[in-house]
Amino acid sequence: MANVRRSRTAAPGLGRRRPLTAPAKAGALVRLLLDRLGSDVHDLWTDEDAVEVQIDGARNVDVLRRLRDDPELGFFFLADAAAVDYGPGVRFEVVYHLYSDRHPAWLRVRAHVSRDDPRLPTVTELWEGAMFHEREMYDMMGIVFEGNRDLRRIYMSPNYRSFPQRKDFILPDDAADSSAAGVNPLERPETWDLRRFSETLAPGASAPADEPVAAAGAAVEAGQTDADKSRPR
Amino acid sequence: MDFSLLLGIGRFVLATTLLLLLTVPTAFIIIYLELKMIALMQLRIGPNRVGPAGIFQSAIHGFKVLGKEDVTPDQADRPIFTLAPWMVFMAAAMSMLVIPFAPGLVAFDSQISVVYFFAIIGLSVVGLLVAGWASYNKYSLLGGLRSAAQMVSYEIPLTLSIVGVVILTGTLSFTQIIEWQRLHGWAVIWQLVGFPVFYIASTAEINRTPFDLVEADSEIVAGFATEYSGMRFGFFFFAEYVALFIMSGILVTLFFGGWLAPWPFPAQLSGFLGSLYGLFWFMLKTYIFVLISIWARATLPRIRVDQLMGMAWKALLPIALVNLLVTAAVVVIFNL
Amino acid sequence: MTAVDPETRIPDPLDLERLEEDRLRAAAGLAPQKKAAGEYAGFEQVGLPDRPPETERERQLFSLEEGEMLVNMGPQHPSTHGVMRLLVKVRSEVVTDLDVVLGYLHRGIEKLCENATYTTVLTYVDPMDYMSAMHNEHAPALAFEKLYGIEAPMRAQYIRALVVELNRVFSHGLMMGFLALDMGGITPLLYGFINRDEIVDMLSAISGQRMLFNFFRVGGVNFDVNDEFISRLGHWRTRALATVEDNERILTQNEIFTARTKGLGVLSAKDAISLGVSGPNLRASGVALDIRKAHPYPPYDELEFEVITQSGGDTYARYLQRVAEIKQSIHLIDQIVDQMPHGPVQAQVPGIIRPRPGRAYAAVESPRGLYSVYAISDGGPNPYRFRMRDPSFISLQVMPKLMPGHLIADTMAIMASLDPIMGGVDK
Repeated sequence: MANVRRSRTAAPGLGRRRPLTAPAKAGALVRLLLDRLGSDVHDLWTDEDAVEVQIDGARNVDVLRRLRDDPELGFFFLADAAAVDYGPGVRFEVVYHLYSDRHPAWLRVRAHVSRDDPRLPTVTELWEGAMFHEREMYDMMGIVFEGNRDLRRIYMSPNYRSFPQRKDFILPDDAADSSAAGVNPLERPETWDLRRFSETLAPGASAPADEPVAAAGAAVEAGQTDADKSRPR
Repeated sequence: MDFSLLLGIGRFVLATTLLLLLTVPTAFIIIYLELKMIALMQLRIGPNRVGPAGIFQSAIHGFKVLGKEDVTPDQADRPIFTLAPWMVFMAAAMSMLVIPFAPGLVAFDSQISVVYFFAIIGLSVVGLLVAGWASYNKYSLLGGLRSAAQMVSYEIPLTLSIVGVVILTGTLSFTQIIEWQRLHGWAVIWQLVGFPVFYIASTAEINRTPFDLVEADSEIVAGFATEYSGMRFGFFFFAEYVALFIMSGILVTLFFGGWLAPWPFPAQLSGFLGSLYGLFWFMLKTYIFVLISIWARATLPRIRVDQLMGMAWKALLPIALVNLLVTAAVVVIFNL
Repeated sequence: MTAVDPETRIPDPLDLERLEEDRLRAAAGLAPQKKAAGEYAGFEQVGLPDRPPETERERQLFSLEEGEMLVNMGPQHPSTHGVMRLLVKVRSEVVTDLDVVLGYLHRGIEKLCENATYTTVLTYVDPMDYMSAMHNEHAPALAFEKLYGIEAPMRAQYIRALVVELNRVFSHGLMMGFLALDMGGITPLLYGFINRDEIVDMLSAISGQRMLFNFFRVGGVNFDVNDEFISRLGHWRTRALATVEDNERILTQNEIFTARTKGLGVLSAKDAISLGVSGPNLRASGVALDIRKAHPYPPYDELEFEVITQSGGDTYARYLQRVAEIKQSIHLIDQIVDQMPHGPVQAQVPGIIRPRPGRAYAAVESPRGLYSVYAISDGGPNPYRFRMRDPSFISLQVMPKLMPGHLIADTMAIMASLDPIMGGVDK
């Protein structure tokens, strides 16, 4: 059976104490959730205006469909779909916030996703508007949504390699240590093609010799460039 | 050698040179008026630094445009790309030859001025279409096609609406049309339907708001003129304002009495003073319509291309035809 | 630096090395490598990207039939509301498909906020949806107050609502202006800016800034109202309703405007909910969902107003909805000014405060829709995860759904009626 926990009370003496009214109103919602979702709920938690439910990632479409289609639950609006990274070796979480006009609280559905193989079924068949949410989650965290017909990067450029919002992504200033070093060929001088600038030379002059480029090509093939030596392989 | 022939040729050359030179100040004045009037209507100040109340602003615009780099796209069709602005500008300038500014101040006073005028104005279509095609750019192509479609569609209501005036006055010469209006009153009272049709069609012909989707800068950047820069773009720009002046002038000539003064004033004086008097009234009336066009630009949004074509073929054309038939019937019945 | 295990990276779908190899070969004058059979061979066509399509949707988008061409309404364009790229597949002026390419204004605000204290976060979120900066700050302030376990005093809540409604007034006024501008009417925008200038002068009197206000604090607002603010507010209130009605007169009955907007881009209620559209766009489609009424945050539970909806869901309805909301906001401002209580404007919060570990979600109604913040705290001085859900981002998904079948000119009209702000879209 799921754990039902309540939030801690506000720290004493700070501002006005918040009235804990919503959990009482949301009591009906809590009972309904436990009743309808049953064993899918691993954990349940309530706050002033939110009820939180933790589920396993693979069941997310099923649970969300029941939440949406059940006439007494009626969570017809997907307010937010976010991804959280709890650190290398821990897990990812995809958090859905749902709105229903029958219940006075937001419903938060936290779906656990393993960090080593972050795959999750897509919810775009339930809400088309989840497409951009899932694209952003893929772009920023690297969570792959199976069944999504358009899972490509949305903020970063299409050939960007790493996933910026992960906890082990290091800012580009530390490029040499970052797993994203040298993603952009412009960061690697050996890939520059100097012959593109030949039309600016005076007639009779010739472009710089091709040896550096050919040698650079050989170095790339052999895996002996500076970029290759700068990060762990 | 016939002395009068030489005099005639010399007079013609002088007149055409003067007119070509006059297009530029005309454009400058209208550009300044547009900037200032639209600013005042938007509760702004507008140009106020260059010269008293900013009157030299458009001259400076002209010099700026001269000084810009002329960039031609690599794969554009170079000879036609260069020729397109000339075509548009020449269409406007050549049609200025027949405008009756004042009694005795007509560069080319012929018996078929009307036909000449509307034939030459149609040449600007070619220029725009060619500009769009030769630029090797999808936006320009779209703009050129839009402009061709628009201008060709509105040519027909334009010419049909003035045929009413021609039937009424019985002549194709602008000076004789004005003469008829001196005797019978301004043609606008006789052609209450023809005037709005002409006004709308002429606004569409010269690509002014609300028909300026050719250069819709919020949709396809600058339309056919996207790839043009420097003086070539300046030519398109100037040609549009000169065409505005010309169309307003023709509107005034055909419907509002040309150089004739309105009722309390004597309609026409004679001699050199008469020319100045006529010129003053012509310019005043023309600029009133120019200002109305600028006012429309500040106020109205733009019509979409399919609505534009629909209006030309489904609304203006039938109205112009009906107007023509009714005018012809009235003229025949009342033996005017 | 901790050593990074490269095995944690998921291999990307693109074979980057092969492309670089091809590039080097081309530089050296060699022919590129032979493509495997069945690979995408569309590199030759102008306008298509020089990499194979990665997804089913991309394949659908980049396969051109006879007579279609890809027009790029690129990041630099006079009319896209910020930097955004629209890849439009047209068949001579009729749009058959559309793809929105984003990310030109991506600043990594969410990740930045993970390294900033809770107070600093409120300054980072301002430039997201820069036209409604007060709303951008309102949602995180509410979320952080839940984490801290405090509540702002009522006077602060009322001042918050006041500035938020003022922000809504000028944001909607500008939307009217941009809608008209995208259709060629240049004047309503200037009128909108005149109105905005008045309000922004007011807000600068109270917060010190004209656009990125930095006014909200966790536990209240930064400054109380002052004399200049009150005097400007009074001047504005006397003329506000008349100004709105004047400004809308130039558009609402204009035949050209109505001919271009009525019946255009109809968004059904079912589609709108499925796409996640919220705010005025959703209410213009007939769904009465307003967060101020649905999950009210103080002081909206004490203010009297109704949820306005329009029927029709077309561009004209979205325009009318915003005009109606301006009037509703003016009405709300009247009530707020009448009912504002006395009291402090900031809760007594110690200098160094650590919130309790936990999660908080707060949603406000911004001029573009539901703007929400999901904040996770681990007990430290910085948020562990700070997630903002921007309404313009989600509304943009309406474009590929609505556009096919319309003309290019309508692209701009529909986009302007959705009123996206790229700062929020790209975060």
